[in-house]
Amino acid sequence: MIELHNVTKYFKTSSGKKYILNNVTMTIPSDVNVGLLGRNGAGKSTLLRMLGGIDFPNSGIITSPNSFSWPMGLAGGFQGSMTGRQNVKFVCRIYGKSDYEIERSIEAVKEFAEIGDYFDMPIKTYSSGMKSRLSFGLSLVFDFDYLIIDETLSVGDKNFQEKSKKALRKKIENCNVLLVSHSMPILREICDVGIVVHQGQIYYCDTIEEAIETYNNINK
Amino acid sequence: MNKRTSMEIFKSVVLALFLREVQTRFGTKKLGYFWAVFDAMFMVLIFAGLKSLISSKSMPGLDFHVFLATSFLAFFLWKNIVNQSMSAFSANKALFAYKQVKPFDTVVTRVLLELLVSSVATSIFVLIGLYLGLDISVENFNMVMLAVIWLVVFGFAIGLMTAVFSYFYEFYAKVMKIVMIFLFWTSALMFTVDSLPPLAREIVLYNPLVHFIEMIHGYYFHALSTYYVDYEYMLYWTLIPLWIGLFFYQRSEKRILSS
Repeated sequence: MIELHNVTKYFKTSSGKKYILNNVTMTIPSDVNVGLLGRNGAGKSTLLRMLGGIDFPNSGIITSPNSFSWPMGLAGGFQGSMTGRQNVKFVCRIYGKSDYEIERSIEAVKEFAEIGDYFDMPIKTYSSGMKSRLSFGLSLVFDFDYLIIDETLSVGDKNFQEKSKKALRKKIENCNVLLVSHSMPILREICDVGIVVHQGQIYYCDTIEEAIETYNNINK
Repeated sequence: MNKRTSMEIFKSVVLALFLREVQTRFGTKKLGYFWAVFDAMFMVLIFAGLKSLISSKSMPGLDFHVFLATSFLAFFLWKNIVNQSMSAFSANKALFAYKQVKPFDTVVTRVLLELLVSSVATSIFVLIGLYLGLDISVENFNMVMLAVIWLVVFGFAIGLMTAVFSYFYEFYAKVMKIVMIFLFWTSALMFTVDSLPPLAREIVLYNPLVHFIEMIHGYYFHALSTYYVDYEYMLYWTLIPLWIGLFFYQRSEKRILSS
């Protein structure tokens, strides 16, 4: 469950404040997978970052008793000068895994990501697809209540997309996702409910179909 | 997931950051350890050489090489702590994607790392001193250690303050670079305060680093005293920047994270 109380978030631009959320109060119930829709720049990613605890509202509070993954996005959360292996180790360490668990996690991520020798190369040599593979594979070794996924399911080749979706379906038996995607088939497949972010307001829809419809109306 | 206390999280984050910094700083290609020793060694050789050119009489009762070595090891420890803290936020920006990692942790990590680097460099200096048969005996080891620890806290205070300010105002980082050059020449590294004419003595004592260096020298060498060390002045220079640094850090932590 996620609760937003009078949350306001804006960015200062040269033409004044641009509101992402304007005094939004709402509750996202437990045990549903949430799809986020909105135009580019509407604030989907910012909302995800706030839920992930690395960005903060200008006023109001967001509370949840649950644990969240880091926002898995295209840009990444990886240090470019470190190798894939070192980054995986780093993340395992900050989550307090033991040495034994770290070794096992490394094997699991390596196997899932299928990036071969690149696993021991600096991240800056990776393509964005490879980064997403690593990021997604890494998230699978933790037990979060919510996985925060920003567009990463639609990268990579067909083969990997299928593999990711399969892994995600297995994962969401035990956890929930907050998913940003512009791909309607993926949203329909994974999400139960939808949130549309538009001009500082949030529209909560009880079914993903309804959310897609709302989103299409905005775009007309 | 199991809940951890913030202290447990802090410890595991600092450990993870520390291991990461060690890997990137001292990777096989970068000769990190070499530079750590070379910096101070180079200065010792240059100033010992200059001194022997200018005048033949050296400081009575102590080896000038050892004097320079203590000066530059201490000065570079402090300077590197400040410089490394200053760039800590931007160097670890990508890792702020994990909510456990706070900018403060990156500064603490870099202070610890510089402490390690300096310890390695000091050990190598001691070995060289023993090999060459120099007189490296310490008058009061405990007080020297106290001075070094205090110097590290002073470095952390200035470092944190500088890190926060320079993150928002690039100008501040440039000023710090100039200040460092100024400090290099005025921190009683290659002279003692006692050897200066009275007016210069008075001016130089406004530099807080002078007191730290004089404290180290005074307790290290039998031939030198800590007469000019003003502990109260050192305390002010530690506590006030520490307070300013922490105050502005906690006010701007969220801005640093989300920028």
